[in-house]
Amino acid sequence: MAERVERLTNLLALLLETSEPLSLVEIAGELRGQYPEKESARRGAFERDKAALREMGVPIEQEVVVGGPYAGSTKYWIDRARYELDDLRLEPDEMRALQVAVAATRTGSDLGQEAMWKLGSGVIDREPAVVATMPSLPGLPLLRDAIARRATVEFVYRDVDRTVEPYGLLLRDGFWYLVGFDHTRGERRTFRVDRIEGRITMGDGEQFEHPDGLNLRTVLPDDPKMLGPDGDTAEAIVRVDAVRAPAVVRELGAERLVDTNPNGDVDVRVPCANREAFRSWVLGLMEHAEVRSPADVRADIVEWLEREAAG
Amino acid sequence: MSRVHRGAEERLRRLLVMLPWLMERGEVPLAEVAERFRLTEGEVAADLELVAMCGLPPFVDELIDIFIDEGTVFVGVPRLFTRPLRLNSTEAFELLAAGRAAMELPGADPAGPLGRGLAKLAAALGGDAGADSGFGEGLDVDLERPEATDRVADAARRLERLRITYWSASRDESTERVITPRQVYADRGNWYVTATDHRTETLRTFRLDRIESLEPTGELGEPTDEPLPEPGQWFLDGGMPRVTLRLAPAARWVIETYPVDDVGEPDDDGWVIARLPVASDRWLERVLVRLGDRAEVVEPARLAELGRAAASRILARYRDAS
Repeated sequence: MAERVERLTNLLALLLETSEPLSLVEIAGELRGQYPEKESARRGAFERDKAALREMGVPIEQEVVVGGPYAGSTKYWIDRARYELDDLRLEPDEMRALQVAVAATRTGSDLGQEAMWKLGSGVIDREPAVVATMPSLPGLPLLRDAIARRATVEFVYRDVDRTVEPYGLLLRDGFWYLVGFDHTRGERRTFRVDRIEGRITMGDGEQFEHPDGLNLRTVLPDDPKMLGPDGDTAEAIVRVDAVRAPAVVRELGAERLVDTNPNGDVDVRVPCANREAFRSWVLGLMEHAEVRSPADVRADIVEWLEREAAG
Repeated sequence: MSRVHRGAEERLRRLLVMLPWLMERGEVPLAEVAERFRLTEGEVAADLELVAMCGLPPFVDELIDIFIDEGTVFVGVPRLFTRPLRLNSTEAFELLAAGRAAMELPGADPAGPLGRGLAKLAAALGGDAGADSGFGEGLDVDLERPEATDRVADAARRLERLRITYWSASRDESTERVITPRQVYADRGNWYVTATDHRTETLRTFRLDRIESLEPTGELGEPTDEPLPEPGQWFLDGGMPRVTLRLAPAARWVIETYPVDDVGEPDDDGWVIARLPVASDRWLERVLVRLGDRAEVVEPARLAELGRAAASRILARYRDAS
């Protein structure tokens, strides 16, 4: 039997060349000796090939025959116009810029490079001076399709079945977030894509309208310490040692600096609506930071440390 | 570059991008084909010979007119595979996301060729993502960067030596060093630079938000052939000590934030056992203090006391003050 890559190439060529849809019997007849004789084995091998081609992005069309001696059997073909990539007419500098963008982002897969090859570009020979790693998650392409097609998606999140109108995807702090309207909760929600459990299914397109002027970056507070109950703008005063003061002031912004002591220590105002995130932030500074007020926030930290110290 | 095994799908995918490119040129040195498509010459030759044997009755062997002679590939006029296959949704996503991210990198010009290229791409991909709403609707990348990033990236492009004051987390002190930046990168929400540290003349990784001051020395560094570590991988050095932790569900951020060797199956209460590289004792004690009773050190015993000792030290500060 021929090598599988040869059979796949021949199948692809046949479906592209055929002037009319072909059944599996006809396909096996054309590709003589390449598919197993036995019907169930032949069907299995063909289904694997079809899935492999579709996975690559080959749009294999199919239809079920109505009436006649072959009624009920499925026929296959490829529409060449849907198969071929449009000529994007990219200028050399545009091609180069896209290639640099692909080289500058590491996703752990070669797919960006595969795409550039299709567009007719080579590989970048020089190591770029600036790169960003981006997590690659299986659900992302489907979610993007659903956003573009305005199709509702369903998935499980925190053990709850959700039906969501997806508005957008945002990569921040190394995580992909999905912003959308959660029908299950009846309000707009944000989901960490890597925490979606199991499969995501997509419904029909054009099911909803995207909200006007939605800015993904402002929907999601960029500081987790602010992610408290709605409207909670609680703040704490934290004293930070001179050694960590410059970095903390840079992180929080100069407007949060309350006081600078002669020895270089600073007092800063820090959002603490989300107590968990606040505690984690303060303790990350170890013995270089101390919560001064309010008293209950300070007591919360002391109690946490006492428990940890007692082991 | 040798691979153990290349699957049929991978070989066909590569052929479908290689063939249109070869057809346009007619004849190309084998070495050039190999370099462009990141294959060995042997792999290119094997794949092209194989595709030359493809064909449908009665034209077996005649699908693609292709042969290799004295290191040059010759391709005749084909009927098929003259245009590349369209992008599939995963490739399209990767390309759009890469473009979006590149726009966020220091030195990007939104009005430049990248912006124009992405607009053409989005239009070709069609649907709402293209024509109607303009590129990037519904897909955004936010790589907020520390102040020092642009200057360090610029120094990396020009191999400029910098004098920096750097706060080292593992030693908890600020020191002055002279470095030649090689590559700036963003990983898991933080920005880093891989640079030659001229105290030891070795490559080291620094976090950009811990650079407290920087100034050019006026000197240029030497180019280096030393391979740069993959971003985010310097941590996975096999020589680093390891710690095994038992983590509660609320401590899951640890395995999402830091590199891990392996994570076990959750037990009935959702706790998992995970093994992680330990960048320094100082790093681990900070993680343990933040985790509190949501984590236990399983082994080694030497590290089990770290969290407790660190908590006592911080507590002392609160007691002194009150």
